[in-house]
Amino acid sequence: MSCFYLALGIPFIFALLVPFLHKKFNPKIHTGWFILFVPLVILFYLLSLNPSIAGGKTIYLTLLWISAYDINLTANIDGLSLLFGLIIVGMGFLVILYSIYYMSKLREALDNFYVYLLLFIGSMLGLVFSDNVFVLYVFWEMTSISSFLLIAFWFQREKSRSGALKSMLITIFGGLSMLAGLIILSMITDTNSIREMISKVGIIQSHYLFVPAMVLILTGAFAKSVQFPFSIWLPDAMEAPTPVSAYLHSATMVKAGIYLVARLTPVFGGVPQWFWFVSGIGLVTLLYGSINAVRQTDLKALLAYSTIGQLGLIMSLLGLGSAALYFEAANEGAIYAVAIFAAIFHLVNHATFKGCLFMVVGIIDHELGTRDIRKLGGLLQLMPISFLLAVIGSFAMAGLPPFNGFLSKELFFTAVLNAVKMNIFHMETWGVLLVFLAWIASVFTFIYCMTMLFKTFAGVPKGRKLKKKVHEAPIGMLISPSILAGLVIAMFCYPNFFSKHLLQPAWEAVLPTFATSGLLQIEISAWHGLNTELLMTIGVVAVGTLLYKTIRKWYGIYRYYPTALTLNNMYEFLLEKLEQFSLAVTNRYMTGSVRDYLVYIFGVIILAGGGALLMFDGISFNSSQDSAVSFYELLLLFGMLSAALAVLLAKTRLAAVVAVGALGFLVAFFFVLFRAPDLALTQLVVETITTVLFLLCFYHLPRLKKDDSPIRFKAVNGVISAGVGLLVTLFALSANGNRLFESVSKFYENAYELAGANNIVNAILVDFRGFDTMLEILVLSMAGLGVYVLIKLHLAGRTENEGTK
Amino acid sequence: MNNLIILPVIIPIITGMVLVIFRNNIWLHRFLSLLATVLIGIVSVLLLEQIRTKGIQILCLGGWEAPFGITLVADMLAVLLVLVTAIVTFCCLCYAFSSIGAERERHYFYSFCLFLIAGVNGAFLTGDIFNMFVCFEVMLVASYVLISLGGSRIQLRESAKYILINMISSFLFLVAIAFLYSMTGTLNMADLSVRVAEAGQGGLMTAVSLLFLFVFSLKAGLFLFFWLPGSYSVPPTAIAAIFAALLTKVGIYAIIRLFSLVFYHDPGVTHLFIGILAAASMVLGAMGAVAYWDIKRIITYTVVVGVGFVLAGFASFSLVGIRGSVYYLIHDMVVKALIFLIGGTVIHLTGTGKLREMSGLIRMYPKLGWMFFIAALSVSGIPPLSGFIGKIFITEGTFQSGYYWLGGIGLITSLMVLYSVMKIFMNVFWGYTNLTEDMQKGTTRGLLLPMAILTLLTIALGLGTEGIHEYVDFAVEGLMNPNLYIDAVLGFKGQ
Repeated sequence: MSCFYLALGIPFIFALLVPFLHKKFNPKIHTGWFILFVPLVILFYLLSLNPSIAGGKTIYLTLLWISAYDINLTANIDGLSLLFGLIIVGMGFLVILYSIYYMSKLREALDNFYVYLLLFIGSMLGLVFSDNVFVLYVFWEMTSISSFLLIAFWFQREKSRSGALKSMLITIFGGLSMLAGLIILSMITDTNSIREMISKVGIIQSHYLFVPAMVLILTGAFAKSVQFPFSIWLPDAMEAPTPVSAYLHSATMVKAGIYLVARLTPVFGGVPQWFWFVSGIGLVTLLYGSINAVRQTDLKALLAYSTIGQLGLIMSLLGLGSAALYFEAANEGAIYAVAIFAAIFHLVNHATFKGCLFMVVGIIDHELGTRDIRKLGGLLQLMPISFLLAVIGSFAMAGLPPFNGFLSKELFFTAVLNAVKMNIFHMETWGVLLVFLAWIASVFTFIYCMTMLFKTFAGVPKGRKLKKKVHEAPIGMLISPSILAGLVIAMFCYPNFFSKHLLQPAWEAVLPTFATSGLLQIEISAWHGLNTELLMTIGVVAVGTLLYKTIRKWYGIYRYYPTALTLNNMYEFLLEKLEQFSLAVTNRYMTGSVRDYLVYIFGVIILAGGGALLMFDGISFNSSQDSAVSFYELLLLFGMLSAALAVLLAKTRLAAVVAVGALGFLVAFFFVLFRAPDLALTQLVVETITTVLFLLCFYHLPRLKKDDSPIRFKAVNGVISAGVGLLVTLFALSANGNRLFESVSKFYENAYELAGANNIVNAILVDFRGFDTMLEILVLSMAGLGVYVLIKLHLAGRTENEGTK
Repeated sequence: MNNLIILPVIIPIITGMVLVIFRNNIWLHRFLSLLATVLIGIVSVLLLEQIRTKGIQILCLGGWEAPFGITLVADMLAVLLVLVTAIVTFCCLCYAFSSIGAERERHYFYSFCLFLIAGVNGAFLTGDIFNMFVCFEVMLVASYVLISLGGSRIQLRESAKYILINMISSFLFLVAIAFLYSMTGTLNMADLSVRVAEAGQGGLMTAVSLLFLFVFSLKAGLFLFFWLPGSYSVPPTAIAAIFAALLTKVGIYAIIRLFSLVFYHDPGVTHLFIGILAAASMVLGAMGAVAYWDIKRIITYTVVVGVGFVLAGFASFSLVGIRGSVYYLIHDMVVKALIFLIGGTVIHLTGTGKLREMSGLIRMYPKLGWMFFIAALSVSGIPPLSGFIGKIFITEGTFQSGYYWLGGIGLITSLMVLYSVMKIFMNVFWGYTNLTEDMQKGTTRGLLLPMAILTLLTIALGLGTEGIHEYVDFAVEGLMNPNLYIDAVLGFKGQ
């Protein structure tokens, strides 16, 4: 089925074409119009797959990429990935349509915008359809990168850049952590396919790396899905153009973590660590998001925190639902699986109502030039359609009928109440707390929904503070949010239609073991009697209204919020400290002084080399093969030692040079004693020339200064030089005593027969190892040429290169 | 016997010598030096095919059989590196045409570059440890001249340090060879391998192997990298790029070669130690990259991180880890050249390397900006660019060997590298355009092409891993089975 890959490839192909289209048609035709049909085509294609998927089929395709290492573009089209795919292209279509009216074709770099957006669509689709963990990782990072580019779309702004950087650092940190976890998983199971991993649950769950792998992967998922404490990047990501916020940062990319958790539930689910980690972090995030959303004054920041809260809710539902896998018998666990259904249901609902709200906020921002609640009010008369859309969106988010949010909120309560009845994972002790926290978070959710709606639209217009004349948005900007609002209501009216075709298949894909038993059945109804869930909702509305009305009285408690301890400040602090600390450390050892560097280098060699000699019993002397030492040799040795000492103690350069020369000449005499006259002659010539050259050069140098460096400095020098000397001596003696094999030089003794040379040294130099000699000649000629260049070429007056100041 | 093997060494030497004679004909210099790199490239492609079909190729110089003469050994790893060297040098030379300046060109710049390449290729191809020393000398003396070419004050100051430290490491190399020769009585690496295996890698042998490790660490910038940031930031861009791409790699190659062919009997000591050094270089390098707000400093420290990462994979001494190292080594050569060229271009355009003094370049130079963006992602191993496959395998390799800390450090430092290079991108290319009139006069004419080639290469290597996997796997197989190398060298009995 190459159609599928073609469909998924369209965004990337178009990303390459956009710059040309933009160049040719802008500003005659808004570039967005060309892009619009990309998600539409894919949407129709995916919808055409839906009937068979909803019928319980799973399509599994493979396109080879790096087949040698089993990193192939394997696609797993099941209910879950298809649902995500539909959300991605569906929302993508609406957002691009909206952006055509939102992004000015005269002022904005539309080509960049749409390239980034297409890259994102393509990567996100790749992410949800990939069955291969490494391909999933590839797309995962690509979504982070395209999100980075989109957040910093207005790259002139400082805040856009820092927001983009923050989002990238956090999501890529998560990505790397996830990669480590996926690598461990693939090591345990010896496969890169998630499907096959699911079939090896037993091996994974009993492996000693189970918990590390789980924590690493969840870190990645949490970082992407803005779970506490990684949530801080989302509010800053609101610097992106609003269509982007609506799309990436509420409907799709931030749900990638949710997707991953859902996808891997069959692998990790059913153990207490997963249950508590996912549902616990989810609940904390839910509370954190909804409580913080109440105190926001920027509409987009408010929506960002609300997204954090809503994603926490979905995450906690996935955690609670994973308990179903604990039970051996499917019928016992089925009741807890409802939580998973609620998660999927709410995920879809969230995409609809939050997308709608973002677009309304975008309209307000676009028309009024501000989204600060304190400057807004009374827009009801001026923008009635937007108001209507906002009502639908925020009531759905608050969980009120007749909107889809009500249904999923009720299911959320059902799931939490079910969870209390579990007798596993210590739920009997902690379950009640869960219910309480879920209810509190819902109250705060209600409050911020009302804040957003009424502070913006009710009251009197604060026209003085606004620069522009206010009127309703152009029709084009209203289409997309209206469609979403329509969906919000339609899903309330016909929940079972959506459930049957979209949600149920996804649910079954998350819990494949249950799917076969046919236990996953649910009938959603708006009215199911006066039960606990409904009472809880009524409580939420009552308490929420009360708190909203009295908000001025208790708002002061937010002042006690410890600003110094906020996660944001910790992030800034950490980054700043990292730089400062790194600079301090680096500057401390990178002194620029070559003497220090030599101390490090020799220090390491002495410690590690000497340490190895001692630790592994490397020191062993064996003088049995050595010949006896003659009187002359001793004499020469004594002379060399004195010459070496003289170099150290010399007061003038001249004396030092002479002493070095003396040392060299004495070495030459050793060659004489060992009957190697040719070597002795060579050595004599070399020593003579170097000594003369040194004398010539040193004549021009200043006098030796009296060494008055501190004693510590000298002591270090002393220790290092003595250490190196000792080390080399020990090595040399040991190596000499451990001649394990006969040398290849025996072969050369036949030099005359082999090479026709009487002199073995010459034969080695010019024949046996002539290549060495040739290269050494090259070295010498380079040195000569280099000196010539050094003398001739002075790019005068410059201290650095190529015009650097 | 395969005479092709000598060509990557001899072509640049002869060409370089010819250029010395025709001193004033700059166009000839440019043409012939490019031609030399192209020829080396063709030769290495031919060799790659021969190795793939017929196994490791050798050449006994002077007809003296191993282990008595000098043997050149073309195995897959060596030839892959020769090929990448040729490509990278080609790009850096192209870049030099429009940037290095007529004075340097007239003063044998191209000759020295070619000599440098001869040394590098020789070090890759030689099968003799003493000959490797000589090739190192060729490479180093050429680099001494190149680093000081131009004789500006800062160049002389840094080259003095560079020369001093490299001289010391050369002495150490020589001394280590002497010890090894004393114990084993041979210099041929295949023969060394046989003899060390026969005698067992005792304590003294392991200690001697550590001496070699220090020598090559100094060259590679593995932990002992103190000389590197200073000396890589003073020469002109084209030279700095060649250094960053090639010189450290020769050290890495030598470590990999020696510790997979000769000293592989005690990986619990030697390879663990390499792993510790690798971890230290990654951490210190990443800290250095994060610390500064200066383009050249940041990118020179990323070189150190790259060295650590490649050797982290090797330290795991597992098939997967070494495979990752080979991929990453190739990637690192390409991408370090690229990022140095772009960094140098930015400095050339703005006249400053300080991030806080520039902003908004992308309006004037969008192509440059996006190439830097790709290079920045690639340098930190972001998929699907060339670094990611190596990164996955290196991490997996370290995990397999139980060195979780090493893999973890690798991942965390790659994030730090990403932060440091993105800092460059965001400050230099984004923000309001604040170029002075002076800065706007700069031009990237002639500079973009070599960078574009390298950018395409880093993309192609990432997407097209399948295309080179056969060669890389062949190279890895050779590293994991020293006997393949030994058989090729010592099993040869005339044809």
